[in-house]
Parts: sequence; C-alpha cells; structure tokens
Amino acid sequence: MALTMQVEERTLFRRFDLNFALVVLALNLVGLINLYSATHGLQAVGLSRLFINQIMWLTIAWGVYITLTFIEYQILYRVAYLIYLINVVFLVLVALIGRVSYGARRWIDLGPIPYQPSETMKIALVIVLARYLAGKSKPEGLGVRDLLWPLTLLAIPFLLTARQPDLGTAIMQLAVVGTMLLFVRVRRRILVICALIVAVALPVAWSFGLKEYQKQRVLTFLEPGKDPRGAGYNSIQSKIAVGSGRFLGKGFRKGTQSQLEFLPERHTDFIFSVLSEEHGFVGSLTTVGLFCVLLLMGTGIASQARDKFGALLVVGILSYIFWHMFINVGMVTGILPIVGVPLPLLSYGGSGMLTTMVGLGIVSSVSFRKFLF
Amino acid sequence: MSDFLADPDEVKEYSPRFRLMYVVIVCAIAIFAVRLWYLQIVKGSELRLFSEKNRIKETEQPAPRGMILDRGGKILVDNRPGFIAKIVPQYVEDLDAIAKVLSEKLDIPAATIVQKVKSSRRKNGAYWPVKIKDALTMDEVARLEPLKIDYPGLDVEMAITRSYHMERNGSHLFGYVSEISEYELARVNRNRAAEDKLKQGDIVGKSGLEHVFDHELRGVKGLEFVQVDAHGRAAASQDTELLQGMPEFIEAEPGQNITLTIDADVQAAAYKSITENKRIGAVVAMSPKTGEVLAWLSAPSYDPNEFSQGISPKLWTELVNDPFQVLRNKVIQTHTPPGSTFKAIVALAALQERVVTPASTYHCPGFMQFGRRRYHCHLRQGHGAVNVYKALEQSCDVYFYRVGIALGIDRIAKYATMLGLGAKTGIGLPGEVPGLVPTTDWKKRALGEEWQPGENLSNAIGQGFMLASPIQLVQAFSIIGTEGKVHKPFVVKKIVGLDEKVVLQNEPQFVKQVADISPENFKIVKKGLQMVNNGERGTAKWWKIPGIEMAGKTGTVQLFSLSADQVFAKCDARPMRQRHHGWYVGYAPANDPEIAVAVLAEHACAGSSGGGPIARDVMQAYFQKFHPDWIKPEKGQAKAQPAKVEPELPAPAEGEE
Repeated sequence: MALTMQVEERTLFRRFDLNFALVVLALNLVGLINLYSATHGLQAVGLSRLFINQIMWLTIAWGVYITLTFIEYQILYRVAYLIYLINVVFLVLVALIGRVSYGARRWIDLGPIPYQPSETMKIALVIVLARYLAGKSKPEGLGVRDLLWPLTLLAIPFLLTARQPDLGTAIMQLAVVGTMLLFVRVRRRILVICALIVAVALPVAWSFGLKEYQKQRVLTFLEPGKDPRGAGYNSIQSKIAVGSGRFLGKGFRKGTQSQLEFLPERHTDFIFSVLSEEHGFVGSLTTVGLFCVLLLMGTGIASQARDKFGALLVVGILSYIFWHMFINVGMVTGILPIVGVPLPLLSYGGSGMLTTMVGLGIVSSVSFRKFLF
Repeated sequence: MSDFLADPDEVKEYSPRFRLMYVVIVCAIAIFAVRLWYLQIVKGSELRLFSEKNRIKETEQPAPRGMILDRGGKILVDNRPGFIAKIVPQYVEDLDAIAKVLSEKLDIPAATIVQKVKSSRRKNGAYWPVKIKDALTMDEVARLEPLKIDYPGLDVEMAITRSYHMERNGSHLFGYVSEISEYELARVNRNRAAEDKLKQGDIVGKSGLEHVFDHELRGVKGLEFVQVDAHGRAAASQDTELLQGMPEFIEAEPGQNITLTIDADVQAAAYKSITENKRIGAVVAMSPKTGEVLAWLSAPSYDPNEFSQGISPKLWTELVNDPFQVLRNKVIQTHTPPGSTFKAIVALAALQERVVTPASTYHCPGFMQFGRRRYHCHLRQGHGAVNVYKALEQSCDVYFYRVGIALGIDRIAKYATMLGLGAKTGIGLPGEVPGLVPTTDWKKRALGEEWQPGENLSNAIGQGFMLASPIQLVQAFSIIGTEGKVHKPFVVKKIVGLDEKVVLQNEPQFVKQVADISPENFKIVKKGLQMVNNGERGTAKWWKIPGIEMAGKTGTVQLFSLSADQVFAKCDARPMRQRHHGWYVGYAPANDPEIAVAVLAEHACAGSSGGGPIARDVMQAYFQKFHPDWIKPEKGQAKAQPAKVEPELPAPAEGEE
C-alpha cells in the first residue's frame, strides 16, 4: 500500500508538466519585475498599490492553475454550456448595471473586486466550441449548417461586448473562435464567400459601425505623424520607447519614456514598451522568445492530447494567447493600429491574469492526461 | 470512464494542422524579432535621441546686458531682476481656463490671451513659450505661483529688466530695448551664423547706443537643461540615476560694458536746467580739445524704463504722435537754420577773404534796402557804425547783409564746410542728418533755379537754406574756440568685455588744423564771441560764470515768414508751434576753451533767453566738478545775478528777411 502510494506520487509528479509551468512562471516573473518598474515611477503616487494587487491575483491564479491541472478536464465538457450561460448572464448584467469608466461599460463589481466578464467569456467560448467541434470531424471541412451554431454562440457575447464598447475584446473573441473553426477546417467555398462579405462589409462598418475614436485609431495607424501630439501620440511615444532601449536597454526603472509618463497606459496595454525601453533588444527578444516557447510547448501538448476535446481546448487557449500577444506587441511596436488589448501575463489586470492562468491551467490539465508513449 | 479508453489515434487527424501551427507561431515571432531589431538596433540611436528630446528641455537663460557707464565709471544703465508670466502652449490642457484665471489675476482680457497663445502656437510651434505679461509686481507673482500646479503650461519666470538710472535724462543717447519684432527678426537673421541667430522674444536695442552696440551689450545666452515629464512639468527626481546623461548647465555670459565720454553730473545739470527752464530741444556739450561728448540731451524725452517693462500701446501711440517729437534724437536728427550763430562763421570768412578788417565798419540804420525790398535789422532803431566785434556782440543783421553781398554764397559755403557744416560728424549714432550748406551749384542742382542775390543776405545771417544740427554747431564752435583744431566728436570711450578685457578703446582723434583760416582771424572772431557774453550790450550778457569767461553766439530761427509788424510783435503771444527757435552755442573759458555747448531751444522765441541759461548751467556744472578753483564768486554780484532770472530786456527776434 505504501509502495503504491509512493509510485502514484512519483507518477503524479512526473505527469505534472513542470517545464510548461516553469515557462509560465518565468513569464510571470518578467511581468512582475516589469510591473514594479511601471508602477514605481517618479510621479506615480497611486500606482504602487497595483503591484501588490497583482501579486495577490497571481497567488490566486497559481492556486487555480494547480487545481485545474489535477481536475479531470472532461468535467468541462459536461459543464461547458453552463459556464457559457453564466458568462452571458454576467455580460447582460454589465450592460444593465455595469460600472462606467472612460466612457465604456465593461466592469461589474463583485464585492470589492472589479470583474470584466468579456475577458472570461473568451475561455467560455473556447470550452463551448471545443465541445461542439470535437464531435464534428469532416475531412472536407465544416459546411454552412455546421457553422450556424458556433457563430450563434459567438454572436451573443460579441455583440454584447462590442456595444460596451470594447471592440478590442470583441475582436479577440472573434479571433479565438475563428482560429478554432479554421483549425477544424471550413469548406473553401465558405471561406471565399466570407472574404467577399468582409470586403463589402468593411466600408459599411466604417461608415456606420465604428465610433469616431475607433476610426481615428485606424487613421492614425495609417499615418501616425499627421498629428503627433494628438491621436498619433500613443503610437509614436511607444515606438520611441521601444527603439530608445537599443541593445541593452536603459536599465531597470531608468526608462525615461515610461517613468516620465510619456508612455500612456504603461502598466496595462503598453507594458511591453516599458520592458523594451528598460531592457532593450535583449530583454524584449527574450520575452517574445518565452512566448514562442510557451506556444510551441502548448502545440506539442495539443498534438499529444488524449482526445479531440482536449486538443481543441488547448488550440483555443493558445489562439487566445497568441492573438493577444500578436496584437499587443504589434501595436506597441507600431506594426498594428492601437487597439486596447493587454499582453497576457505581463499587463496589469486581475480579470485578464486570472483568465489567462485558468486557460493555462486547462492546458496543464490536458498535458497531465496526455498519452504517454 | 469510457473516455479514458478513447481512440489513441483520434487526434492524429489534426497532425498536419499542428505542423502548420508551429510554422505560424515561429513566423509571427520572427516578424517581431525583425521589427524589434529594426526599431532597437537600426533606428535605436535615432529614437534614443527622440526620447532625450522628449524629456530634456532647454530653457534659455537670458544674459544680463552690459552696463553703460559715464566717464568716471558711474552706472547710467544696468539691469534689475523682474518677473514675467508666460504660457507654454504644448502643456496647456484647458486654454480657456488659464486665460480666464490669468485675466482675473493680471487684468488682461481673456480673449487677448487666448488669441495670443493660439497665434503663437500656430506660428512658432507648441513648445514655444508665449509671454503674457512683463514686469510682474511681487504681488502678481505671489498670486500666480500657486496656480502653476493646477494649470499646466503656466509659468512665472525670472527675467532681466533693463534699468535706466537717469530715467528720462539722456534716453535718446542710450536708446531703449524691447522684444524684437517679426520684421526685424527676419532681417537681422538673414546673414547670421546659426548660433548667433536671434529668436522671437529676444530683447534687442531698438535705438540709440542700445541699438548701435546691441551685439556688444547683448552677451551670450546661457542654457539650462531641465528634465520634464509628459505634462511639461520639471520632474524633480529623487532617483538621481534617472538624471544620468543630462548636459551641464551653460551659464549666460554677460554683455560687455560700455564706458561713455559723458559726464553724469554735466548731463544731470543739462537735464535739470532744461526742465526748470521749461524748454524743449537739444543740448550737447563737448570737450573742444578732444572731441569727447560730455552731455547729450534731447527734449521732450521719454522714460526708456517704460519700454523695458513692455510699453503699453496707448503710451506708444502718445509718444509717436507727440507734436514735439519725443522719439527724435534732436542732437543729431534735427537740423534747423543756425540763425545768427552762423554769423561767427560768416565773420571768419569775411576776415579771411579780406572783405572786412577789424577796423572797417558799416552803418546800420535799422534796415537795408536791397533791390525793391527792405531788409530789417532786429534792432529797429539801428546799431549805427558797426565793426566786426560790435556786429558779433550785438548780432547786427545789416553788417552781415553787407558782408554777405560782398562775399557771395559760395565763399560763405567754403568756410562753413571747413568748420564741418553740411556733413555728418560721424558720431556713430543712427539717423544723423548732414545739414545743408547751400551754394549756387547746389541750388541749380536741387531746385533747378539760379541763385538770387537777395538770398546772400538771408543766408549770411543763417536763415534761408542753411541747415545745421546741434552736434555740428558745437563742433564748429569748438574749432573756433581752439583756433582751428578739428577733433572728431565721439561718445564711446571704451568697451570692456569679460575679465576686464578691453574690446575697444577710443582715443581723441585730432583730424586736422584748419589751415585756410589764419590764427589772427580766429582770435578776432573769438574776441567778438567773448563780447556776446561779456560786452555791455552783448546779446547773452545775462549769462555768466563768475571767474570764468564764457564766449558764444545767440541765434533765433524764424519758422514762418512774417510781415514786419509780426516780426516785432511779441513772440510769446503766439501759439507754441509758431514761436521761433532759439540757439545758443558757446564755449568757456573764452581764451582757452575746456567745454563747448550747443543749445537748441525749440519754440523758445529767442536764443539768448532760451539757450543761454541752459548752456551756462551746463558749463557751470562742468567747472564745479573739474575746476572748482576757477570759479570766483563775486561778492554781491553773485547774489544779484540769480541763475534763473529773466533778462530785463528779452533778447529780441534777430533774424528776418
């Protein structure tokens, strides 16, 4: 009996994907070091509190990560629609009684904790889609009828989020769902039709769908020098911050762009600029490299998943991380327009951090139960 | 538990897609690697420069302008600290709010402030500070200081204000300073090296010595480097590491100091006298043996301090439109007919050309008939038999009418030119006028007319076409006083730069000895001029310095052609603008002059009462300071002759046609 226990424990430890967890931890540490710098600037009086918050959130998040690792992920299969429904309810609640800040209704107060349902909705979408798509295996790809349900599942949160308004998060939901559908394959004809619809719909959306500030962002991206003190300011200051770091960076807490507040939103959306400025090419490439390792390891886990549901869960979560990172880093380095998308694991924010770690915990859980060859 | 027994090959179906995922991930990361390499390695240094520009703001520290000192080292012009309120548009969050609060505190219309800031922002860029108010009072500074926190972009800064210790006295010589205008800016910067270029808001000399020696006086601006945050506020850093790589403070280099030949006490006496006598016009005093200008005054005058503090448009309009030309430097910029003072020169010409001898006389019945016209003498009853001495002493017009006819204008002109009339003295201040010495040729050229014989008469008594400025007349009389020694007048003695380095040193410049006039003839004329102040019937006999003999000549300039009745009518009864100008030009001591003075008393009716007392006061101040032992108060008489007494017989109008 004692022997069995010992074997089981050893196995347990062996089956826990330690390497993956270490990469996540490494990114967490990079994030914390960087967040300390971003919140302890010269003038930042009210920001140092955020660092403590983040540590608290991170502790909780790791608890969730480890718990999820040991929970059988098949449970998610069963409760997928329940999770989805709860999130939709919260999104509706936000629309009704949400807290308004910066002209958008995105948060809801759960006791003292501000909660952003559109964030957790991304994971809920991954779970509910993984469940649906696991049963649809068609070599020729998904047809129109197969797409109706997943698109309906997407449409509800997408519209609710977009009208908050939070276009960035809505687009992220779309990107995650789209990636999963593409992964499972969609018929080529449908893809072509979609592309055509987008081509037609874009100008219409431009005229009627987008708010003035949203249009401004796109225009600014196309020509940032036009109004350097106005709309192009964020983009220009971010590029200056990144570039001025040069090879080795200006040093920890010595980034003048961030410390002197030339960088906007430096602890959230522009956290990567802070890192690039203070740690240079070496620091930023290392961080991007860690993301690369995380995504590649994740892909490895998905390919070894025990079942399609597990594989699709991982693919969905990886696409969540990939798109966030791609759009965020693309934005701060000036190759994409400014969209309010945080950088997973590095940006400040409880909901985002928890959502990401829940996702990674599920990946870890899938890894825990992968086939051992 | 059937799930655990799922088909191990279930996921195999996805394998090619996983391979695609690997490729996509690596490609995306590669894009970022390239982008980061481009920004941080290729563009790194350039963007580092941008980030430095972001945080390091240069603020110019104005250089204190050089001082202007009198010949004894007394400070006439220097600087005092002041405060200005300014707005840096780029840091302004709510312009209307700032304008509103400033208009309350400084009493400037809010709309004016908004308009000023907006137009500067458009023209000069957002970073350029806009001056809102100069010369703040301490009370205003105290009111604005606490506002700086709530209104980013608002600043109160130390500034240097030019300070003219003598206020209205000598303002035309010193000139004034104020902010450079856009028009000037373009003009001055055209041929300047980049580091020497002026900027908007720079203070420059606009007139007088401030203008002429602007470059010397201006100094070199200092640079202060401040680390600012994104809101444009100086970031006081406890974390000194963040201040690494800040350039050093570059201290401003004060301008060079200019020592003048002016004597503050003589200058003060001139101002005091012209003010107390309620005269306007010009006073210039010179040392005949060196050419050093001792006093320089133009009246009415303005206070250049008003300009340093930012002159109000109302005051400026007043100055520009003043009927008596407040802004004109009358010492060099005004020329009028020299009137009877010119008789000294005509006398020299007549003696040298042997038209008259000291012994020869003309009879003056009070007028002279020439052609169909009757030319009056200023003394209606006539002077009787007049020789050259009496003619100068009593300023007999008839004597000089006859001399003028005998000489002709061209011979008169020859001697006038010899004594420096008709040409600029080259004193080096802006706007000097050359005056005019007419000749027959000149009239033909300029007016296309033949010279009329009758014009010899009027020009011989310094009326007509003849024009001279105060500086020219003081030089001409200096030449007479020194019996032909010509010195170039100058006002700047030396310019001293940093570390007492002498940049410029002006020595007295002896130009020449007037060879064409014999010393004997100079002596004869000098004797006549001595009698003007000392003779029993001298036209300036009321003006004396006990112990020191003055010599000189009075003159009265008729501004309008008047009928005979009007000529003798009381000048004082006319409106100010129609009254005659008075001249007194003279020197002392009479035999060996130390100081020469020219006084143009505009609209004073007569030269003796208008210019005489002022010249006397200037000379007296000079001797009290430099030769007090020469002055011997004559008992009883000193008291019987108070300085400011009106002559018992006001010198009558002299000149007329």
